[in-house]
Amino acid sequence: MNEFFRRLRYLLNHRRFDRELAGDLEFHREMAARENRPFGNTLHLREEAREAWGWTWIDRLSQDLRYAFRLLRKSPGFTLAAVLILSIGIGVNIAAFGFFNLMVLKPLPVRDPATLVRFQRFSPMGYASVLPYPEMAFLREHSTTLSAVLAWNPSTLRMEHEQRPLKAQFVTANFFSELGAAASLGRLLDPSRDEANGAEPVVVLSYAFWQSRFGADPSMAGKTIRLNDKPVTVVGVASSEFSGLSLDSPELWLPIVQHPYLVNGSKLLTDYSVEGSGVAVWGRLRPGLTPRAAEEELRSLAAALRAGHPNDIWEKESLPGNPGAYATSAISQSHHGTGTKDPNRMIPVAGLAGALVLLILAAACGNLGSLVLARGVARAREITIRAAIGAGRGRLVRQLFTESLLLGMLGSVAGLGLGYVVLQGLMAVSGAPAWMNPAPDWRVILFAIALGFLAAILFGLTPAFQVVRQHHQATLVRQILIGAQVAASCVLLIVAGLLVRTLNHASGDPGFAYRQVVSINPSLGNHGYPPAKARAYIDTVESRLHDLPGVELVSSASTPPLGNKTVTIGIEIAGRVIHIHPNSIEPSYFQTVKIPLLRGRNLMRGDTDAVVVSQSLALLGWPGEDPVGKQLELANRKYTVIGISGNARVAEPEDRDSTEAYFLADAADMPSMVVLVKTSGRPEELASTLASIAKAVDPMIIPEVQLMKTSFQQRLRGTQYGALSVSLLALVALFLACLGIVGLVAYAVSQRTREIAIRMALGAKPSHVLAIVMRQFVRPVVVGLLVGLGGAVALSRILRQMLFGVSSLDPVAYLGAIGLFTATVALASLFPARRALLVDPKSALRND
Amino acid sequence: MPSGALVLLILRVLRSGPLHGYAIAQRIHSLSSEVLHVEEGALYPALQRILLKGWVIAEWGISETNRQVRFYRLTPAGRKQLEAELSDYGRVHEAIQAVLRTA
Repeated sequence: MNEFFRRLRYLLNHRRFDRELAGDLEFHREMAARENRPFGNTLHLREEAREAWGWTWIDRLSQDLRYAFRLLRKSPGFTLAAVLILSIGIGVNIAAFGFFNLMVLKPLPVRDPATLVRFQRFSPMGYASVLPYPEMAFLREHSTTLSAVLAWNPSTLRMEHEQRPLKAQFVTANFFSELGAAASLGRLLDPSRDEANGAEPVVVLSYAFWQSRFGADPSMAGKTIRLNDKPVTVVGVASSEFSGLSLDSPELWLPIVQHPYLVNGSKLLTDYSVEGSGVAVWGRLRPGLTPRAAEEELRSLAAALRAGHPNDIWEKESLPGNPGAYATSAISQSHHGTGTKDPNRMIPVAGLAGALVLLILAAACGNLGSLVLARGVARAREITIRAAIGAGRGRLVRQLFTESLLLGMLGSVAGLGLGYVVLQGLMAVSGAPAWMNPAPDWRVILFAIALGFLAAILFGLTPAFQVVRQHHQATLVRQILIGAQVAASCVLLIVAGLLVRTLNHASGDPGFAYRQVVSINPSLGNHGYPPAKARAYIDTVESRLHDLPGVELVSSASTPPLGNKTVTIGIEIAGRVIHIHPNSIEPSYFQTVKIPLLRGRNLMRGDTDAVVVSQSLALLGWPGEDPVGKQLELANRKYTVIGISGNARVAEPEDRDSTEAYFLADAADMPSMVVLVKTSGRPEELASTLASIAKAVDPMIIPEVQLMKTSFQQRLRGTQYGALSVSLLALVALFLACLGIVGLVAYAVSQRTREIAIRMALGAKPSHVLAIVMRQFVRPVVVGLLVGLGGAVALSRILRQMLFGVSSLDPVAYLGAIGLFTATVALASLFPARRALLVDPKSALRND
Repeated sequence: MPSGALVLLILRVLRSGPLHGYAIAQRIHSLSSEVLHVEEGALYPALQRILLKGWVIAEWGISETNRQVRFYRLTPAGRKQLEAELSDYGRVHEAIQAVLRTA
């Protein structure tokens, strides 16, 4: 240890130590000279002595860096091109990692994120991502492992003079204080005041809403606004950096105990049913406790609660906890179902995205590698001199590699800038919440430095070795570099092609009519409407709708196409468990959304034990047989199949199964029905009239009106972004590969001018000359294409879940990509190759 | 001169008192009846190494020619190292002698 400190002291004072040593040697020389003794080379001695301290590598490194810097300055063209290429390759990777960092690695900007845990319901029979409010309250009251429990429920509220409904969150009163939020005006929710009995209704505004709607009015605190026609006092405004625990940006926060006051017929605070809205629950662990300990306690608490409410709490219900303070935990929508939860489908897609951006880096490095190699070959004389003076191979390689390292670091810096811009643009386009900050934090910077290193190794190490070994031809290395670029571009082009084809297919017919249909969701269940009242409401609305001009058909369903709800239930058919999507409908449903009836008959009034199954469900449940007349069992009731409907991708565009089962809606289903209207006119015009009709029937209900056309477009957006970005990346890779090949062809032509001149003088035809020049590139390009093909096939297996309706080996995409690549590269390389033809034999031979 | 022996000789020579670099070389040369000649190219790197290990420290002093020069002095750690190396050397020397005598 002491030795290390002594070394450090030497490093810090090395100039003084050096001088002292020089003094010693000077003295020794004098004394030796007096006695006529020979003395060695002082400088060499000093160097050898210095080596003992072990810091010579710093000297060498700074030497190399300074030389590299001078070299780069002397050839600004090369430096600029190299840094540009690197910044694209590294920048794209940094943008992707930055996004990953924001979503997964970086905790939300709340107080003490490490102790926040998100709880969901889980049991052998099913799962739910939200808890009923009464269950949360029970757990909160009896838990000793959690120091605080937070819960929230998203909702929409109408404010007077506002056209569109506002996004609101009903939260427990400790929400803001637990998350460590500060108010930018007034105060935030306070557990002692806002959750007490008889507390007055208050609301906290979001910063953005306060600015846009109230013009940042400084006297806002204390004013009263009317929400859902009820007066509520504004107590304050949250700060602009407040993130909450979700990715949406609500405009209002209200205490959850005020839910019944604001929402008519609200059952939120008392409803135990799993179909109710429920609340998302987070807990804060007491210091020193693990999530496991909290899970154990909650499990036993749930069992205790089940004793009093056996129908509402599941048997063996457990509440597993996950780290709560990350963007990924905030994403999941409310859903529940039986069976096991789907494993996170985002992980393979994220891995695929990572692989794709690394390919861009590979293409960039391949390109740069050829450039570095060419430059190294041009410096043959300098290298030879250095070797002659006594530089070993290792030393020379280190020097050349240091130059690449410098380039790599410059590329990292440029890449950080580019990555930030790209990420900023992505977030602006996709409407990310305002508190998400794309500025690079320490993880992103570390990643950038590491990538710079990696890039330097990829493009600098092998050329360094080649140059030092005096391999001037280095054809194999060149060909490998070209091959790598070709492979990378190929993979990207193919994947882009697949995504574009998917986009085409997804925008096509999903199996039901969406353009002319409008959905009206009154959420009667959430307003506490009993079935009889709900039926009356739905019937009245439907009859009024029939009277409107332009309305062709009216119907209703419990799980309408492209709605926000998905229900999956496992049922038994002939002894096997199959997952289906049940839907309770009115008989006119199929006609309204134009789902064809392929066999059998439609549901009719009185068909209480009948079911219509979709084609996929028929194939899955009764393969090879005619399902009409067969039976299936759901919730201990037997149903007979009376008809088969066409597949409709109602849940999500990529729903391969579309195993729908349609039951006749009965009285119990009424509170959850959604009305669907098919119009022959423009659906937008209908939408505005609908609001007034609903209000006329029952002013307490404000239904959510949605054009199915709009929902469909929104579903497509993910694929659109994907196809667009990958296409962009593929074009960049294609451009880089073209540049690489063009450069090399030009170089080959210039090197072989003499040979070409002789051949032409001897009568070679132009096509023959071209063939000679291009022949050396055919092999690496073909090999690269094959490798790229293989890589694309492998990657597309992961892509399969995003490729709805398009096979992962779709020939159009593959052929199109390869064709595009070959055509572009061939065309591009014709330009320098043409120069071979313009060689004038006489002057070429004479000039040499 | 075997490489390990130089450090041993330097430490031994410094046991009687601090010396500057030239004096160390002179002392070794004369004490060995002019058989062992320490080259500067070996002496100074060796001195740097034992400085690094903390067995000697360098301090300024006046030479016999009235010049300011650094004197190297043995530290307690150096003394311990010297004892250890001396006993090692003794044992190795005995062993070699035994083989040469009887083999």
